Amino acid sequence: MRKLAGIARLAGQRLLSSLPALLGVVVFTFVLMRVLPGDPAVFFASGPSAGQQEIQDLRHQMGLDRSIPVQLAFYLRDIGTGSFGRSMTTGQPVLKDLRERLPASLELTFTALFIALGLAIPMGVAAALNPGTAIDHAVRFLCTLGVCVPTFVSGLLLIYVFYYLAGIAPDPTGRIDVFTAPPPSLTGFLVIDSLLAGDAEAAAAALRQLVLPAATMALFVLAPLARMTRASMLAVLGSDFIRTGRAMGLSRSRIIVVYALRNAALPVLTIAGIVFSTMLGANVLVEKVFSWPGVAAYALDALLASDYAPVQGFVLLMASIFVLVNLLVDVLYGLADPRVAAA
Amino acid sequence: MSGVARILGGGAAVSLSLAILLSAAPHAAAQTRAETLRQVTGNTVNTLDPTVPGSTREAFGMSMNVYDRLVTFERKANGKGFIFDFDHMRPELAKSFDISPDGLTITFHLRPDATWHDGTPVTAEDVKWSLDRAVTAKSLGPPQMLTGSLTSASQFTIIDPMTVQVKLDKPDRLALPNLATVYAIMVNSKVAKAHVTEDDPWALQWLKEHEAGSGAYVVDVFKPGEQIVLHRNEAWKGGKDGTLPFFKRIIAQTVPEAATRANLLARGDADIAIDLQSSDVPEIEKSGKLKVVSTPQFNAFTVVAFNTRIPPYDNVKVRRAIAAALPYEDMFKAAIFGRGAKLYGADWTTTPPDGKFPQPMPEHTDLVAAKKLLTEAGFAEGFDTTFSYSVSTAQINDPLAALLKESLGKIGIRVEIQKLPDAQMSTLVTEKKVAMFTDTPISWMTSTDYFFRNFFTGDQRWNYSSWDNQDVVATAQTARFEPDPVKYEALAKKLVAITADQVPEAFLWQPSQDAVMGPTVDGYTYWFHRQVDYRDLKRQ
Amino acid sequence: MSAAAAAGHALHVLRGNRVSALAAILGLVLVLAAVIGPLLTRYDPVTSDVAHALQPPSAAHWAGTDQLGRDVLARVVAAGRLDYAIAAAAVFLSFIVGAVIGGACGFRGGAVDRWVGRVVDVLMAFPLFVLAMAMVAALGNRVENIVYATAIINLPFYIRFARAEVAVRRQAGWVEAASASGNGPGRIVLRFLLPNVLPAMAVQISLNLGWAILNAAGLSFIGLGVRPPTPEWGIMVAEGARFITVGHWWLVAFPGLALMLSVLCFNLLGDGLRDMLDPRMRT
Repeated sequence: MRKLAGIARLAGQRLLSSLPALLGVVVFTFVLMRVLPGDPAVFFASGPSAGQQEIQDLRHQMGLDRSIPVQLAFYLRDIGTGSFGRSMTTGQPVLKDLRERLPASLELTFTALFIALGLAIPMGVAAALNPGTAIDHAVRFLCTLGVCVPTFVSGLLLIYVFYYLAGIAPDPTGRIDVFTAPPPSLTGFLVIDSLLAGDAEAAAAALRQLVLPAATMALFVLAPLARMTRASMLAVLGSDFIRTGRAMGLSRSRIIVVYALRNAALPVLTIAGIVFSTMLGANVLVEKVFSWPGVAAYALDALLASDYAPVQGFVLLMASIFVLVNLLVDVLYGLADPRVAAA
Repeated sequence: MSGVARILGGGAAVSLSLAILLSAAPHAAAQTRAETLRQVTGNTVNTLDPTVPGSTREAFGMSMNVYDRLVTFERKANGKGFIFDFDHMRPELAKSFDISPDGLTITFHLRPDATWHDGTPVTAEDVKWSLDRAVTAKSLGPPQMLTGSLTSASQFTIIDPMTVQVKLDKPDRLALPNLATVYAIMVNSKVAKAHVTEDDPWALQWLKEHEAGSGAYVVDVFKPGEQIVLHRNEAWKGGKDGTLPFFKRIIAQTVPEAATRANLLARGDADIAIDLQSSDVPEIEKSGKLKVVSTPQFNAFTVVAFNTRIPPYDNVKVRRAIAAALPYEDMFKAAIFGRGAKLYGADWTTTPPDGKFPQPMPEHTDLVAAKKLLTEAGFAEGFDTTFSYSVSTAQINDPLAALLKESLGKIGIRVEIQKLPDAQMSTLVTEKKVAMFTDTPISWMTSTDYFFRNFFTGDQRWNYSSWDNQDVVATAQTARFEPDPVKYEALAKKLVAITADQVPEAFLWQPSQDAVMGPTVDGYTYWFHRQVDYRDLKRQ
Repeated sequence: MSAAAAAGHALHVLRGNRVSALAAILGLVLVLAAVIGPLLTRYDPVTSDVAHALQPPSAAHWAGTDQLGRDVLARVVAAGRLDYAIAAAAVFLSFIVGAVIGGACGFRGGAVDRWVGRVVDVLMAFPLFVLAMAMVAALGNRVENIVYATAIINLPFYIRFARAEVAVRRQAGWVEAASASGNGPGRIVLRFLLPNVLPAMAVQISLNLGWAILNAAGLSFIGLGVRPPTPEWGIMVAEGARFITVGHWWLVAFPGLALMLSVLCFNLLGDGLRDMLDPRMRT
């Protein structure tokens, strides 16, 4: 109980101390967007006959006729009151857009991470059990290969092979087949929502859509996960309690799965946390290639249109998730490792 | 079995189950698939009200299907498809219209049986409110309606519950066509008025996300950036001879990657796309599996624009030199794969054959003449300059720019290529800060005077070359109100001739719009707004 | 460790690790191709020949021609120079700046350290690719700006790393000895501390080189990369990938292969270096 309280206190402190960083992110993004030479008012007033007057009106409406510090003050006030502004590109409030699109990105990233871990852990373990052998080298080579192909290339290739040539993948357009009715939205995760609604067919449709983009992303993150699994397995396998276990005559598979893997999991968890938050923000290209209605593709479109509010909202969201995931990993660490909480 | 094998086996099981998932047969599509049209596009419908500042071109197109206008253009057959007919109009929401002999009064008679999507009847009050909105709201409407002498709500009067009259100061040839354009939507005023606020007396905010129209299609799902789903309005009266459109359901989906759009069409999963890469289209056409309706965009023109306010482009000889040095044929072939109508290579010298615009200009690639002109202009050693275009047009303009740079290099002009994000590009163009750039402006109206008033005079963004030629300004204004077709033609020819001589812009081509559709889809029409009008389409 | 002994150790590790050895050889070949290749190719990488556009590989054009009839092989080889230069410059920049700032923080500690720590936190919390996009969009897509954007998003890592390593070592006896013998703090950091941190950083440098190339390629894909007609692998792959469906595979295959092999090589080398420096990892 005391341990839990300690962890909660630590978590609270960590959250508080990350506030300045989040504020920094907000201010930095804000300034960066203002430095962009594009004038969103001009861009969005680009009807066939829009003149200077329309541009001025729009600029006023968007608050762009005020000085940058004043704009920043207004923006911070808005964030304080829970408003992220409105996207010119979609015409919707940014918060609403992000709320609708974040589950899409999360669902994709979780699936990718799941696939990646499902492949990387066995590979890392296999490499660690046979260090220096052909298996070890093959694992390293295979994983590294995944990092070498830009995701937009592997994505387009997967579509070409599995959809266009073989015809076994569903059409790469978004989260669920357009002719399948999406389930009522509860969690925003289509697979889970479908299962909750008892609609196995929709769940399968949503899962099928996930496979290719998630595989594209997973390929790219195999290397760090497999590498960390291998390293921490090696460290654990060399430790005393494993040797004791062996001496006691426990079966090899029992030692590996029950004792070694469990102890090697922590560093892998840390890396998985980092990989997760990086993937979430970095899968712009995958979302583009697969028409995935996620947050990163949303931010990219806004950026090219100098549409400030969505980019700012997106960056703040990503930074917050980054902080939260790190915190979560630390908490899990604390729960698993008594020394952390004591420190 | 060793632990390694078991763990590896686990990995294999994961991949195996993935493979099974992938290969599971997709669920049979709904039985109405044949009556459903699925369009894939790289862009997005961002508002249901096309007059909202910031509306995308796709939003313009969507509004044609969801809202009616009082009148609409007829269409005429053109190759495998149709094109809109600027010279012939028919009533749409109105039952009929008549124009007074002096051309100053247009009277619209409404249909007694026309209804809004909520089932209530269309009244003269609704029409008056909608027209007022188009010329008064702080939206894209007023500056467009202005080009047809429609400027004030006082011009619109309700004669009786089924009749509305439009009064003009001058007999403006573009008044009626303006009422057929995107912005002159007819809105259910009772619904809209329920959502007006003090800051927003025309319900621009509410209509952005909701529709209150009477058009052929009703919006079911509107997810900007993802998809929009429509169903047919069975009570629609605006069709030609009262016919309903063929498709009962429309799905318009945003698919950003052009290669994926091509794949979807090739697999038969999508029915139509109008924004494939020009490089893909010839191959698709060759394969013969899909139907390609290719229409040169006769209301658009691709140019290399020279900013006549920035030296050395204030010097007509420099402009002529560059126009003579452009590798037209190579550009036409490499950038748009020859898919379009050429606007160069004409053989007249001082007088064009007719007053049409755009039309081919008497320019040919001639590096010797170009070098000579450049020397005469005092730039025997050439000069340094920039050439700009927006990122979204890179697919066509990357090769175009590379060829331009190479060719101008041969006469000593050193070009730095600038590829700018779209918002930056439009800002710099509007602020007149770009020296030389390329773009493809488009006009909803195809009268020569309209082109010249919008694209070659004035201070607005679309006067790309910031051209200020008093002769052109005066001639275009005179032409606008010239009722005599013969005199109009003479004025139009004069405008074209001055442009050919002064070269404010080097004209390249009118790119084709390649509408690619499944073999069973028929009836595609090229519209002034360059979007798909679902009402035209049917499945054979 | 003397230079000879270091080389001996390196050789020993390479012998025991054929993958790294292969990567080293491959790396040499690739860099050599980038340096002298452009002198050997028959065609100019930017001269167009529209009459011979989009031709598949043949005796005249070993890797085919692109949309403008330019020789793909000549462009791939010429692009190597630029890509390696971008990657090297970006990584070098972030390494130098990161090492100096991080070193100073680690050595000094105190308020400066805390403030720099905050700034690094801000950078770390950014979605990095979006940051790179925004920077290139803001500054304009010139080669130097791509370098800056890539450098900045690598910077936090180098600062943290250098800081941690220096902070650990600053209490070491030999540092105090150097200080006692009259060396100023700047000199101690530059002369004594950073050189000791260098080998560990070399691993990251190698990994980052590959990553920088991918980053440039990603920027090209969304149109914010190097401007035409300059050949660059990323933009060639991005353009070529769109021609896969219509069967012009050579447009993506050759630049893609060059890009892939380079990144693969840098990554494997990084791994090899790590093994060389940390023999415990390979018990």
